[in-house]
Amino acid sequence: MKILRITAIACIALALMLVVITAGCTQSAGTSGNSTSAATSATAPNGTVGILETAGVYPMPSLLATSQIDGYIAWQPVVEAGVESNIGHVAVYSKDLPPAGEWSDHPQNVFVVRNDFYAQNPDFVNDFSALNLAATQYINTHPNETAAIDAEWLAGGQNLTYGNVSVSSVTVVSNSLPTIAFTNNPSDAWKASTGNFVQALINLGTVNGYVANSSNQDAVLYNFQPYTSATAIIASKNVPTPATIQNTVGVGYLNAVDHSALFVAVKDWQYFNDTYGITLKPEDPTKAKPDVADFIVNGQKVATVNLVPANAGPNLMQLAATNSIQMSYVGVPPAITAIDQGTPITIAYPIDNLGSGLVVANGAPAQDWQSFAAWAKARSDAGKPLVIAAPGKGSIQDVMIRAALQDSGITVTEVKV
Amino acid sequence: MTRRLGLILPILLIIGWEVVATIVNNPFFLPKLETVIPVLLSPFSDILGTGSLADNAIISVERVALGFALAAAVAIPLGIGMGRFSALNDFFDVTIEILRPVPPLAWVPLALAWFRIGIVSIVFIIFIGAVFPILLNTVDGVRGVKNTWIEVSSTLGASERQILTKVVLPGAAPTIWTGLRVGFGISWMCVVAAEILPGPTSGLGYLIMYAYNLGQINVIIAGIIVIGLIGLVIDLGFKAVEKRWFGWRGLER
Repeated sequence: MKILRITAIACIALALMLVVITAGCTQSAGTSGNSTSAATSATAPNGTVGILETAGVYPMPSLLATSQIDGYIAWQPVVEAGVESNIGHVAVYSKDLPPAGEWSDHPQNVFVVRNDFYAQNPDFVNDFSALNLAATQYINTHPNETAAIDAEWLAGGQNLTYGNVSVSSVTVVSNSLPTIAFTNNPSDAWKASTGNFVQALINLGTVNGYVANSSNQDAVLYNFQPYTSATAIIASKNVPTPATIQNTVGVGYLNAVDHSALFVAVKDWQYFNDTYGITLKPEDPTKAKPDVADFIVNGQKVATVNLVPANAGPNLMQLAATNSIQMSYVGVPPAITAIDQGTPITIAYPIDNLGSGLVVANGAPAQDWQSFAAWAKARSDAGKPLVIAAPGKGSIQDVMIRAALQDSGITVTEVKV
Repeated sequence: MTRRLGLILPILLIIGWEVVATIVNNPFFLPKLETVIPVLLSPFSDILGTGSLADNAIISVERVALGFALAAAVAIPLGIGMGRFSALNDFFDVTIEILRPVPPLAWVPLALAWFRIGIVSIVFIIFIGAVFPILLNTVDGVRGVKNTWIEVSSTLGASERQILTKVVLPGAAPTIWTGLRVGFGISWMCVVAAEILPGPTSGLGYLIMYAYNLGQINVIIAGIIVIGLIGLVIDLGFKAVEKRWFGWRGLER
């Protein structure tokens, strides 16, 4: 009898729990009252939008799917993933964000090298950079192979399941690639754009050290010698064989489509070996994400390379600061901040530009920036301002969305959770 | 009867899960059972290029075992010393009480800087999580050994070493074992924290974080279930040993 009573009580408790949970979730949840719901006022004629800083992009699709935000600005493949999973659609890609023309070639990711490592192993770094340049050319000329390689690396080539929707990871990557500009050229336009961005960071207060106080920012931030040498190597097809390096070399990266140069270099190592005489041959080619590779030049193994993934740029920069890695593919913001704090690295060249997007919920009346701004005003008028997630204060996406909102006369507020 | 009682709630929860998931119909809120079960039923097939559920589970268990063993090797001798000699206890007490509340996750950036990427930093995080429960329980167990026993053995001419090995240690053993059991539970909890570190490309914690990155919530839930099941099995092991070797403590009461 006692066991029946206990079971009955447990059932009732569970049923009550179910009712409460279901009721809470099936209510039409607009964005909840985290943001200060300010009705449009004289000081904010075009309305306000709240920015929610998440630590990285990964929470964003979940937040949008559970209606805790109205949209997010992120990099690939999280932008495309939001579309494929039917959570939302892209309102506008980063290159079309206002101010007009400001972001048309905005920097995204770069390749950084520790200064001491470059001083000791210039040929190694130049050859590695030549491989990066070759890989970038490969991405632009072999998009299908790149999509397959990326899908293999990022998701084991498997399908991604979002509830009832199952989408091939190859499709997600294929759709992401055209939104990114893979290039290594540190052109004047690129430098100018990066400079704008540095200034934005200084204004934000996140950059206030070596870079902010330097009279020659370019000298502190950049050393394009690897790019110049690499270009010469590729053009002349004359690859110097570097001296063998005894210690393992660490190269950091993120599991992002932006870092495809590394993935194609490792996965299609045979192609780069045959075409250029430089390659990163994985020690275990059966792994979806190899973590150790041999750097081989002209048939000779020069060094063992550890491929070190991280969740976010700042982690990579900390590894670089403690000399756990000597080179890294990384986003521009963490690189600038690290240099500003005294990390002995410099930016050698970009690895890609563009590639971010603003994703909003399905059914949201935003098909481009104009309609998005109108929607922001309408929601503000109704007392429920939009909440947009950005990946961390000072990130490229954060700076872009704030600049775009301010350019449209929309006041930006912080959403604190 | 009591065994079966323990099974009722999990079954009810599973039914409740399916009901809520069906009603809410939002995989980011709660994936349906049908999307999680296939992941659990094929523990030997690769998930998202990070290896299989089984492989990752084994790797995590190995890491936790290492961190836990290290914590026990440090905490038990120190705890015995602190329990027996109050001067030693006073010396370490304040420091321990300051360090103890700090969650292992907070140590991650420092661990990375001090121990670089690799197994050492992972083991350090797990060590930090496990060492304090083991230490405190050891001190407690040693202090709790009946003074009568110690006095009697002393009267009968036992040396300090004999008192330690023949009276204190066996007397404190049940409490130390409880400390080990709690410590292992915490070590096992630290798996996710430790495997967020850059570097590890394997393990259950890594698998969960990676699935999160790609929005595969069903894999996250499968990972959580596996973590829970392994924790349960190991805890049952601890309890079995306790029942076999330390059942006398119940009689003492």
